[in-house]
Amino acid sequence: MKNLLISLGVVATACGLTCGVAYFLSDNRAMDAAARDGDAMAWLRIEFRLSDAQFTMIKRMHDDYSIVCGKHCADIMEARERRAPAAEIAALEQVCVDAMTAHFREVAAQMPPGQGERYLGTVLPQVATYSHHGAPNVRATPSPGK
Amino acid sequence: MNAPAMDTHRPPDSLTRTLANWRVAAPRNPHFRAEVWTRIQAAGDALPWGAYVRRHAAALSGALALAVAAGAVTGQGWARAQTAAKSAKLAAAYVESLDARVLSSK
Repeated sequence: MKNLLISLGVVATACGLTCGVAYFLSDNRAMDAAARDGDAMAWLRIEFRLSDAQFTMIKRMHDDYSIVCGKHCADIMEARERRAPAAEIAALEQVCVDAMTAHFREVAAQMPPGQGERYLGTVLPQVATYSHHGAPNVRATPSPGK
Repeated sequence: MNAPAMDTHRPPDSLTRTLANWRVAAPRNPHFRAEVWTRIQAAGDALPWGAYVRRHAAALSGALALAVAAGAVTGQGWARAQTAAKSAKLAAAYVESLDARVLSSK
């Protein structure tokens, strides 16, 4: 019985060690760091394997679009505050959706072959399934030095 | 087993009769079977682990191979699931950071 227990212990230890090693080797540490920092731009770079040039271009597009987005945001907030008709708010939201979709397509065009389609497949459904629940508390601007 | 003392002076028919009437009345040991297994077990435990491994090499190699494969698949799957969950959360954050509908609701 003692030998059987020792053997089972060795087998279980081997299983646990292999599991740990496989986890360590398969873990995406860059993604871990992005998630820890809440850095959505780092996510974009890692997930879609952007080169430095592509990332720089896309970040500039992102920053430029943020200004446009801010304008849309202000328009929607202003309409909500003055209790504008629902149709007017819906029209402003549609402007936002159209502009955002066009921006995402422009970003996709800057990505490596195949990654652009995957990017659109990730982001566009989230635009379509929007609900008025607010965003999680993470930022979409790269950390300093990135 | 208390056999009667043999009397060599008795005639042969008396011996035959004695043998015919001879009954062994050994007390039954109810723990006999359990004690045999205990002794077998003890003999097995006395075997050094190295010898035990050599004796069961095929079974242990199979179990070890299965354990390593299961560990590798589990570890890799766990890491991938965690990465996918983090990626999905960051993707949602990215989209919402550019969604004026969300930003205006904060």
